[in-house]
Parts: sequence; structure tokens; C-alpha cells
Amino acid sequence: MSEQRDDDELTGALERATRLLRDEPVPREAWRDAVVRAAEAGPSRGWTVRPWVAVAACAACMIAGAAIASLSLGIRPDRAGDIVAAENGIVRPSTLPVRFSVEAPGAVHVSIVGDFNGWNPSGLPLHRMPDGRTWEVDVGLTPGRYAYAFIVDGRLARDSSAAESGADDFGVPNSVVLVGGS
Amino acid sequence: MTGILIRRARQVALALGIAGCAAGGLPAQTAEPALPARLGAAARAQITALMDSARAAGLPTAPLAAKAAEGVLKGADDARIVDAVRSLSGALGQARAALGPVADASLLDAGASALRAGVTPAALHSLGEAGAAPAGAPALATALVTLVDFVAKGVPPALASQSIEQLLRLGAPESRFVTLRSEVEADIRDGQTPEAAVTTRVRTNVQQLGAPGAPHPPSPPPDAQPSGA
Repeated sequence: MSEQRDDDELTGALERATRLLRDEPVPREAWRDAVVRAAEAGPSRGWTVRPWVAVAACAACMIAGAAIASLSLGIRPDRAGDIVAAENGIVRPSTLPVRFSVEAPGAVHVSIVGDFNGWNPSGLPLHRMPDGRTWEVDVGLTPGRYAYAFIVDGRLARDSSAAESGADDFGVPNSVVLVGGS
Repeated sequence: MTGILIRRARQVALALGIAGCAAGGLPAQTAEPALPARLGAAARAQITALMDSARAAGLPTAPLAAKAAEGVLKGADDARIVDAVRSLSGALGQARAALGPVADASLLDAGASALRAGVTPAALHSLGEAGAAPAGAPALATALVTLVDFVAKGVPPALASQSIEQLLRLGAPESRFVTLRSEVEADIRDGQTPEAAVTTRVRTNVQQLGAPGAPHPPSPPPDAQPSGA
């Protein structure tokens, strides 16, 4: 009798367990929503770059930044023939070297001002050549048309070897240089 | 433990990367020249307002600051400097309207120069369309520089712009305009009038580019093509 009862209980338990396994589980609504949201968002975008690669890349970025800063903030060549890459203070690729030259035998300081350096009078100094008369600087310019003038010991001077700009807003014509394209 | 170290390394790398990129980008962000100290307070305020408006309209502001600096350097009075900056700002705005929103700073600068040289906004718009393809923006910028040079040499603006537009429509590359400039300059040195030099040289270039001497008409839109042809 007791064995029969045990058998019945066991059979009942097995049937309940089988029913439970057969029934489709109903997930909680919050879980289901979370899974749907995750699927819609696509695969997770974790870091795929190794840490040492990221560190190396940022170091390169800092070095490049420092180089650009040094060029833009006024580190100038110490000899003629170097190219000053400056266009309104922004260093840009594809610049062409343009040599500016003026004869000023007795001058103490000669600089060049123009559209390419925002007309900043202290921007681009020229270098005295060994002949003692000629002053020169090479400037890297992107293709375009640039108005400019020399400042010889504080006085504005046109480049007599260059074309005149024509009409001028301030009644003092500039010199003009055309930098060709490719 | 390893996971924590990797996470920390990532955080440090990210911070350094941001700092490095910020340091690299600094010169470009501060590239706009400061207004000269000699400007009076009223002129400074007016020019600052003009620059703010230009910036809001997506126009380059560096040429405006440079114009103010040029005026100061040449000893102009404040009113004249403000007028010059306002005039340039207006020309840049007109150039933007004529050349469209994709024109970059150098193209706008070249367009403004053309307008100030006497080219009409309609002609500039037409030049912009002609230069949109196939040679693209670099050729257009150089073409506009060439156009301004011709006008400065005494070529009537209408003739200069028609000539340049003709070459642009034939797909003349940037180098063609550079050569044309040199050729015209040499012809003028040899005694030709600027007008005759441009006319002759442009005709030759048009022939070399494989088109008849007459101005090249713009292509009609696709839907205007006869369907039965």
C-alpha cells in the first residue's frame, strides 16, 4: 500500500516535471524588452585597438601637434633658403616655395607683410644676404593671389620687381604675387 | 586583474589622445589674427560685430582681421578701416551666394577678389557653375585668380570672365590657367594690348582643348534632351 502511494507520488511528480519542461517559458517583460533593445542597437562596439597601439597613436598625435604649434607660433628659420609655411598662421599642405627679395643696403631690419600672414608686421623677417645689400626669405604659399609689402626699418615699401595690386582700400597700392597651381 | 589593467590603460590612452589632439589642433583654432591694438574702441566693436556676422554666415573671418591690420599698418583712419572690412565682408557674402555653400575659404577669397575687381555676381555664379566639373574647385580657384589678374592688367571684367568661363566649361585644368597667365603677361610685355593678348591666347587654348572658337554653351539638363533622338 505504502509502495503504491510512493509510486503514485513519483508518477505525479514526473508528470508535473514533464509538463513544466514542455511548456514554453514566459520571459519577464522587462527582460524581453532589454533583449530586443540590445538586438536593435547592433553588436557591442568595444575597443578593438590594443592599449599600446592607442598610447603610441596618441604620442604621435602629441608630437605632430607640438610640431604644428612650433611652426605656427613663430619659430622662424635661422638662415635664408628655409621655407616658412604660413598662410594666415595656418600650416597647410601643398605649399609652393616663393622667394621674396628686396635690396635695402643700409637697413637694420626688413620684414614682409601680406595676405599670407594676416598683415602682421612682425611676422616674417627677411635675412640679410652675404652681399650686405639683399634681403631674402622663402615663404611656402598655397596657390593663389597675394598682396604684400616690405617693411624696411619700420617703413612700408613696395616690391619694385613685382606687379602692383591696382585698386587699394587704403590708397597705398601693394605688390602682388601669383602662386601657380599644379 | 588583467582586465582592470587593460581598462585603466584604455582610460589613460583616451585622456592622452584627447590632450594630444587638442594640442595639435590649437594653432588652427587660434589662427585667426587678433585685431590690431591701435584700433579705437568703436571701430574695434564694429569690426568685431562684422566678424561675428561673417562667422555666423559660415564665411572666413581671417581675411577681415587681415584687412583691418593692413589698414592700421598703412595709417588709415578707423572709419576707412571699418568701411574696407565691411566691403570685404559683403564681397565674401556675395561670393558665397554666387559660388554656393560648398565653396571653401580660398575659393570664397578668390570669388570676393573677382567681385571687387568688377566681375558681376551673375558672372561669378556662371563661373562657379562652369567650374563645378570636371576640373573642380582647385581649377576654379586658380581660374578666378587668373581672372582677377587679367582685370588688374586692364582687361575689361566682362571679357575676362567670359574668356575664363569658356575655358572652365571645356574642362581646362589648373595648369592651363597658370600657363595662360604667363603667356598673356609675355604678350603684354611684347607690346600687345591686354585685351588682344587675352582674346588671342584664349582662342588658341580653346582650339587646343578641342572645341570651336565660339563660347561653349552649357549642357541642357537631362530632362530637356529630345527623347526620340
